[in-house]
Amino acid sequence: MPEEQARHRKAPSDLMQIPIVWSYELLKYLRSWRLLASIAIVVAILALIYILPPALGRPYNGTDENVAIWVEDFSALNMSMPGLIPPQSFGTINRSMIDLDSLQLYVNGTTYPSNNGASWVFLQLDFADELPSFMGGSPKLNAVVFMENLTGSAVTASYDWTTSKEDFNSLFLGFVTILVIICATLFAGDALVGEFQNRTGYLIFPNPLKREVLFLGKFCASMTAGTLVVVLFYVGLALLSFLTVHGIDDDFLASMLFAVEFLLATTAVGYFISSILKGSTGAIVLTFFLFVIILPIVDGVSSFAGVKIESSVTFAANVITYIVLDPYPVDTSVEAFGFTIYSYYPSVSSAAIVMMVYTVVAMALSLIMFKRKQLTG
Amino acid sequence: MIEIQNLTKDFGAIKAVDDLSLIVPEGITCGFLGPNGAGKTTTIKILTNLISATGGKAFLHGVDAIAHPKEALSHVGAVVETPEFYPYLTPVETLAYLGRIRGMHHDEIKSRSNEVLGEVKLEQWRTTRIGKFSKGMKQRLAIAQALLHEPDILILDEPTTGLDPRGMVEVREIIRNLKRQNYTIFMSSHLLVEVQEVCDKAALIDHGKLLVYDSMDNLKKLTKLGKIEVTVLGQVQDAFLNIVRELKNVRAVERINGSIFIVTLEGQSNEMAELLSAIQGMGAKVASFSQVGLPLELMYMDLVKESR
Repeated sequence: MPEEQARHRKAPSDLMQIPIVWSYELLKYLRSWRLLASIAIVVAILALIYILPPALGRPYNGTDENVAIWVEDFSALNMSMPGLIPPQSFGTINRSMIDLDSLQLYVNGTTYPSNNGASWVFLQLDFADELPSFMGGSPKLNAVVFMENLTGSAVTASYDWTTSKEDFNSLFLGFVTILVIICATLFAGDALVGEFQNRTGYLIFPNPLKREVLFLGKFCASMTAGTLVVVLFYVGLALLSFLTVHGIDDDFLASMLFAVEFLLATTAVGYFISSILKGSTGAIVLTFFLFVIILPIVDGVSSFAGVKIESSVTFAANVITYIVLDPYPVDTSVEAFGFTIYSYYPSVSSAAIVMMVYTVVAMALSLIMFKRKQLTG
Repeated sequence: MIEIQNLTKDFGAIKAVDDLSLIVPEGITCGFLGPNGAGKTTTIKILTNLISATGGKAFLHGVDAIAHPKEALSHVGAVVETPEFYPYLTPVETLAYLGRIRGMHHDEIKSRSNEVLGEVKLEQWRTTRIGKFSKGMKQRLAIAQALLHEPDILILDEPTTGLDPRGMVEVREIIRNLKRQNYTIFMSSHLLVEVQEVCDKAALIDHGKLLVYDSMDNLKKLTKLGKIEVTVLGQVQDAFLNIVRELKNVRAVERINGSIFIVTLEGQSNEMAELLSAIQGMGAKVASFSQVGLPLELMYMDLVKESR
């Protein structure tokens, strides 16, 4: 005879069951090759982007010694500097960020007086109004403005330089989208369909557990695993960024939040695909190709046709990279070779809304499909 | 108690379960029989929230299993088909997962896990990942998880599938033990000997319809056909067998060897006595005359043949 304790046992509330499912589903990822593979991809992306350019002769920082500076007449710039004695000449330094403390100027081989404003001033000239913004940010020029005319002199400079935080971060952030898609594919693609195809549903469904609880527990686990990978990427990037360019971009955290939001949207869509397909492989392949090929083709073709598709989640995901550019890029069109080439950028607010709408709609649909799905065969 | 009321399940034009009604009283072990595609597993899947019903109701322990599956399944342990387990978990972890879902306390999960794993002889594999398990081991673990929370009702869908003969005997022994503990057990099986050995009652369905549902004793009485193996001294001639075929209530005669033949007889003890007298009256020296085959098996074949 079953004991009294068992007789009166009641299954925990739905809310209490979600963390139980969540923890055991997360264990699945922690013990699987998928999480390890994702982490390996993070390490590979960071390592490749960090190591390859310097190895190919394009370091992120360094010291330039006795670099010749081509000096021009300041009047060629057609600008004034209120409050200052009108400068006579200027020269440019073709590096993103110059460590001013290390900047030494030499005129005809002799050290030029230090930067006290009396002899020369370092300026970062911004041509936002004069030149069109291309792929975000605005054209900038590092210039040394001389109070005397040095156009005929041999001017050289020595300085420590780094790539700007914005440039350094955006270079890596361009790979976040594919990383998120890989996470959605590995952690969501077969999350639901696997219960049917692998027959584990025969074990879990005959328990006092609502399908929506199972769904939410699984979704939380997929998101936890995905977020872990994404955060690891950002932490790794931040470390490299501090190490190389002495800091991170001001919008670095905003980029990470958008990456997590994109993960939310892609995971939800992955769950939807997983809820309607009958095989794990099909679900995984479709999830991956949807985000890597199908939607980007739609984005590209639309842009070519001069149509801005704000409602595309992959288009919205571009905000992850663009958010660190200052100023934020604006839509442009350029006439070239008889064509009009359009460059569209998602607005920050519309990107956030689009990704949230994808999340809510895909989650709702996949939950309905999961609840309706029957374990036949 | 399990109560099924006018349960129907359609798969398009096919009626997998057709207006099925059945009551399994508390503490009874009920066998659920039928040929492949009869609707046994479909019925069990509806009871265990794996598929939805097209119509009708099913109550487990008085709770509507279709409208409130969570409450209904709280007191149910089920093994449906051969379930697969999460390969990354060990038996102990699997039982802990399912126990926690069912609201069991940590200590209770621990002690019950040890008990049920011992019962299905999986103690030595308790911390091995299930991914390495054979089908038979998984089936035994499936039974263990069904027993973990000491449910009032056990629903078993062909519980000995995938087991070797020794495993089958062990599972039957487990079910007999549970029966002694007054569990209500609803068990589908292809193995009639299994049902006849362990069940108090049996229901036979075909094409989703209930053909018969009664106690095992009554079902044995209901059996119309019997097979009698007759051994005579000396060789049996074909002409002799032809005469036996023409005897009253004899449906078929099959020669086994020179001196043994099997008679399919419609009837019970009286008809058997009449047959024996008739054979002896024909001058045959009968060395043995005994019923062969299980009454349930004969009834099953008879009823299924009729329904098809």
